[in-house]
Amino acid sequence: MSIEITETLGPDDLTSLSPTADAAERYRRRVRESLETGWRFAGLHVSPGAGSVRTLLASPFGATHLAGVALAAGCVPSIVDLAPAANWDEREAHDLFGIGFTGHLPLRPLADHDDRVDPIDGAAWTVPVTGTDAYQVAVGPIHAGVIESGHFRFHLVGDRILHLDARLFYKHRGLELAAVGAQLEQGTGYAARACAACAVTNSVAYAHAAEQALGLVPTAELARVRTVLLELERLWNHLNDIAAVCAGVGLAAGNNRFAAFTDRARRVNAAVGGHRFGFGTVRVGGSDLGLGRGQVAAVRADLGELRQEVTTSWRELLFNASFAERLPGVGTLSADQARQLGTVGPAARAAGLAQDVRSISPRLAYTGFEPVVPERALGDVQARFEQRALELWQTFDLLDALLDRPLVPAAGEPGGSARQIGVGRVESPRGATSCVVERDGSRIARMRLRTGSYANWPSVAAAAPGNLLPDFPLINKSFELCYSCADR
Amino acid sequence: MFTLLRDLRRLRRDIGLIRPDRGRSLAIRHVDAGSCNGCDHELTLTSSPAYDLQHLGLGIVASPRHADVLLVTGAITTRMQGPLLTAYAAMPQPRLVAALGDCALGIGLLGDPTEVVGPLDAVLGVDLRIPGCPPTPDTIAAALLTLIDNPPAVIPQR
Repeated sequence: MSIEITETLGPDDLTSLSPTADAAERYRRRVRESLETGWRFAGLHVSPGAGSVRTLLASPFGATHLAGVALAAGCVPSIVDLAPAANWDEREAHDLFGIGFTGHLPLRPLADHDDRVDPIDGAAWTVPVTGTDAYQVAVGPIHAGVIESGHFRFHLVGDRILHLDARLFYKHRGLELAAVGAQLEQGTGYAARACAACAVTNSVAYAHAAEQALGLVPTAELARVRTVLLELERLWNHLNDIAAVCAGVGLAAGNNRFAAFTDRARRVNAAVGGHRFGFGTVRVGGSDLGLGRGQVAAVRADLGELRQEVTTSWRELLFNASFAERLPGVGTLSADQARQLGTVGPAARAAGLAQDVRSISPRLAYTGFEPVVPERALGDVQARFEQRALELWQTFDLLDALLDRPLVPAAGEPGGSARQIGVGRVESPRGATSCVVERDGSRIARMRLRTGSYANWPSVAAAAPGNLLPDFPLINKSFELCYSCADR
Repeated sequence: MFTLLRDLRRLRRDIGLIRPDRGRSLAIRHVDAGSCNGCDHELTLTSSPAYDLQHLGLGIVASPRHADVLLVTGAITTRMQGPLLTAYAAMPQPRLVAALGDCALGIGLLGDPTEVVGPLDAVLGVDLRIPGCPPTPDTIAAALLTLIDNPPAVIPQR
């Protein structure tokens, strides 16, 4: 099948935004019509000056479109009835910018931890659960292991989970607000520091957005260098995530083996980019990375050896019956739920949705890439676990092909017209990550990073009910989402 | 399973970690007060075969009640300041506080002033500083071992 990959930013009503009832209806109609023709909600942000809200829509073939609407009396119409995936985005915009979303009821606090109950709709951050024997278990923000900070509120009867609310933003550092006014080139620093585990993805998404706004496209060599860095990031993350599932069921041998692989993959990252997490490897408009013939050959050989060892250990995990039997039927997220919630990445693919931004990334070197889904795509812990391995083999293949010659410094070149807004979409180890940058000359007027983790947290909450509370760590680790790139 | 265990045994032998007989140990409680997850990821690896802190007497414990050291990663966000101080208050005395990574030390800190309280020493006295963005697992391991090998002469009572 040959599909044409398009990369257009649709004409937003940037200049004609006026707070009329007609404009509000037009905004909702545009969102509805896009969703009805297969486009997906990909993020929502508040424009510079907080006078309007813009919704990012992405087509299955790579095009993006921004639908904007101006505030009227501090409110815009909610689209959460059309796109449930917009739930967190609207709540965040309300808590951080004070914007009302007409029709989003109850508009529960997300980033706001003040525990003030809104006098108008009386929404608390967690839902009330009543009934015979129902009780709550509060976990976090500090967890028992080396785990990021976040709070989970379980509603249970006995050990059975009835409902889960995740309360994040404990780690909210206001990175996007702090970036306002900085030079466009400095934005990669903020994007990378949002999350070490997705630092390369976030920086590349930001760089793509900034470059689109500046009217630049990467050369083939720049695309190749960035793709190498992205796949090296995926490599250590997927190894880490396999270790995490082993830890989730208490299989110390598997956890230790894959933790050692994770360490080794991070050393490869350091050998290529000079940093174990790829900090400082991505810059707007080019790449300074150089790796000679000998170094590239050594990295490639190291990856070949790692692949063999990982393959052997992976088989060992599959043949460990007491381990394997802990995974099926736990934490199931159905394909319908995934579609409804806008789930992305390995979690969506494990539920059978064959979507991957890598197959529609003209700015990167993924020509001919096709998403992979497991044979048994049931959306449970087992499927998500197997999905990581399937993607590991893809990543090893990609890296082997991409590292067939030295890496040399590369630059972007003029392409497309410069504009006020740019959008970047990149597949992180956790799924589609969108970055929107609005600029004011050479400075950042607004940046918003909507990461795969941010998109998928509601899916974790949806996969929990019906399971036993002691299985939650396993369910959570099978998604292995970052708190830091959700909180920013 | 046999292969996994055999590989791990070989891995440990090849790495050749030296295990001096210190006869002492420290229990560590980690709190992420607003990190990018980099320091936390590297700290996790200090328990992996190449570093193996447990064999050196350093263990991560589940509760501050069991801890000698409070090990803090990240800038201190306004939302984590309270939980951090609660964890500190729950620790038995004597107790030590360690700042892990540049953010906790206030080096190159990014964030909005309304959301970030500051580095760790803005809220707690710091006994051990481990710089790096993030520090590598061996840097973390070496720094933590100094607490066992050269403990502060007078452990502050706070």
